Amino acid sequence: MGKNIITTPRYGKNFKDRLYLPAIYEGCKVTFKHFFTNINNSNAVDTLEYPEEQPSDITSRYRGLHRLTHRADDTIACVACFMCATACPSDCIFIEATERDDNKDEKMPKSFSIDTLECIFCGYCVEACPCDAIRMDTGIFSLTGNSREDFVLNKDQLLSYKGAFGEENSCARS
Amino acid sequence: MSMASIIVAITAFVLGALLALLTIPVLVWLERRTAGLVQDRLGPNRTNIFGFRLGGVVQSFADVVKLLIKEEYYPSHIKIGRWLFMLSPIITFTAALLAFMVIPFADTLIIDGEALRMQPLPVEYGVFWYLAIGSVGVIGVIFGGWLSHNKYSLLGAMRATSMVVSYELPLGLAIISFIVTYNTVDFNAMVQYQTDTLFGFLPSWGVFLQPLASIILIVALFAETNRNPFTVAEGESEIVAGYMTEYSAMKFAMYFMGEYVAMNTASAVIITMIFGGYQLPYVSTQMLLENFNYFAYALIVLVPAFTWWMISFMRKNNRVRPSVTTDSGRIFETKVITIFLLFLAVVVDAILLYLSLIPNVLATQIAVTMIQVVIFVLKLMAFNMFFILIRWTLPRFRYDQVQSLGWNYLLPLSLFNLFVTAIVVVGVN
Repeated sequence: MGKNIITTPRYGKNFKDRLYLPAIYEGCKVTFKHFFTNINNSNAVDTLEYPEEQPSDITSRYRGLHRLTHRADDTIACVACFMCATACPSDCIFIEATERDDNKDEKMPKSFSIDTLECIFCGYCVEACPCDAIRMDTGIFSLTGNSREDFVLNKDQLLSYKGAFGEENSCARS
Repeated sequence: MSMASIIVAITAFVLGALLALLTIPVLVWLERRTAGLVQDRLGPNRTNIFGFRLGGVVQSFADVVKLLIKEEYYPSHIKIGRWLFMLSPIITFTAALLAFMVIPFADTLIIDGEALRMQPLPVEYGVFWYLAIGSVGVIGVIFGGWLSHNKYSLLGAMRATSMVVSYELPLGLAIISFIVTYNTVDFNAMVQYQTDTLFGFLPSWGVFLQPLASIILIVALFAETNRNPFTVAEGESEIVAGYMTEYSAMKFAMYFMGEYVAMNTASAVIITMIFGGYQLPYVSTQMLLENFNYFAYALIVLVPAFTWWMISFMRKNNRVRPSVTTDSGRIFETKVITIFLLFLAVVVDAILLYLSLIPNVLATQIAVTMIQVVIFVLKLMAFNMFFILIRWTLPRFRYDQVQSLGWNYLLPLSLFNLFVTAIVVVGVN
């Protein structure tokens, strides 16, 4: 038995605790206080009227919807290396590569689509990308649609999203 | 049977049915809003009809519509006892509803020498009726759990059974001590007994006469209604939904509504037995009838004051938040409801003024009855609020703890209380 052993006293054995009613009274005091303060001024309740009010506290590390970045001259940064599709644990990135004719790189994606219904937003694709071409910094946290096809984002949609936290272009390719 | 007795019987029945059934959506709404406010959020406040959201109560009606038009799913693995499977939610719901029908909403009306009871079921053995019918509700729960042929449902039913054997006895013994004290099994006579005063200053409510039995009664009724802290028959974290796992759509809604009707009934029994029922403290029906003028004058002042308080509360809280730009009809709603409340206050005041200036025995009697109904509803809602707030305060009991509480503490206490009560009653007489 070392010195560091601390014996905590056992509560709940005296008469007041075994009676249970004083504890109910104490608990009711807390809930009743919350209830009456909130009902007196329900506009002071610290909640967000969500669809009208949008959250303003999304941090720059928030993994939102994906986007494909541009180079400084507005061409696509992606070189269709398939690293993101390989890293993806839910196999939701579909890339078709094609030859690039603007002398920037050898390859580019002909089509690049992400099935956001399959995606688990783990961010492995962002980690895997050697070109900083795919990012999750759009700050978009909700995606709505009327059919399953609406949730499969194609290359043009992914390119159209803007970064929400300042960094616009790819940092790896210029 | 005179005309008056038929009218009173029909009125009492309609009133009882309305009080039992129309309070369900209100209670569901109250529960959800109270849960929100206790937990520092708002609860449902969006649903509206033409911009009228009435604080969100419209949500409950939307829920009812949803449950009605939902797919009626019938589990195919149930081969035996299908009709009983369908019947069990109805048993629970009906039992809770019938048990409510013996609660007096107002004192007995005496018209042309004929005593007309303001009870949906005008019986003189209300306590026995309540005990007999109120306990049937759990049979529906047990049947439903057993016939679902589902492990979770069976566990829920088993727990419900364990609850019955642990709380029914203390409940009955507590009620017997009230019967001994009041010397009656009639709810209305119990209320009349409680209009006296105790030691000259306390209203002789059951809660002051029999504090121990009152606590046992309240605890046992919390258990009977399956409310927190005694929600052992259902537990999302342990046994999915308990006995109602296999039920869907309106079958589930019957159980759900039955729970709220049972809560309403329990509140009604508690206020009738230990909080003076439909009576104001210190004021008997006779006093109300004889000095109706003074009560009318007091109400003429009180009704506009209450209306003003309600309007100011609404103007304060039914506002658009400063951070939201769209209005979505709140200002219009506030305006319309303000006009409606003012109109109502003016009408009530005019009626009271008319009654106090031109005395009329029958009209005074009806007015007194209505005042008592209003008091009853206010007390009922206050106790329902207590039920709801307790639910969001206390953690749940394990079901062996419920049994231990019932058998080791409540049963000896209620026996002891009955013993003391009997000695005191015999000694005093």
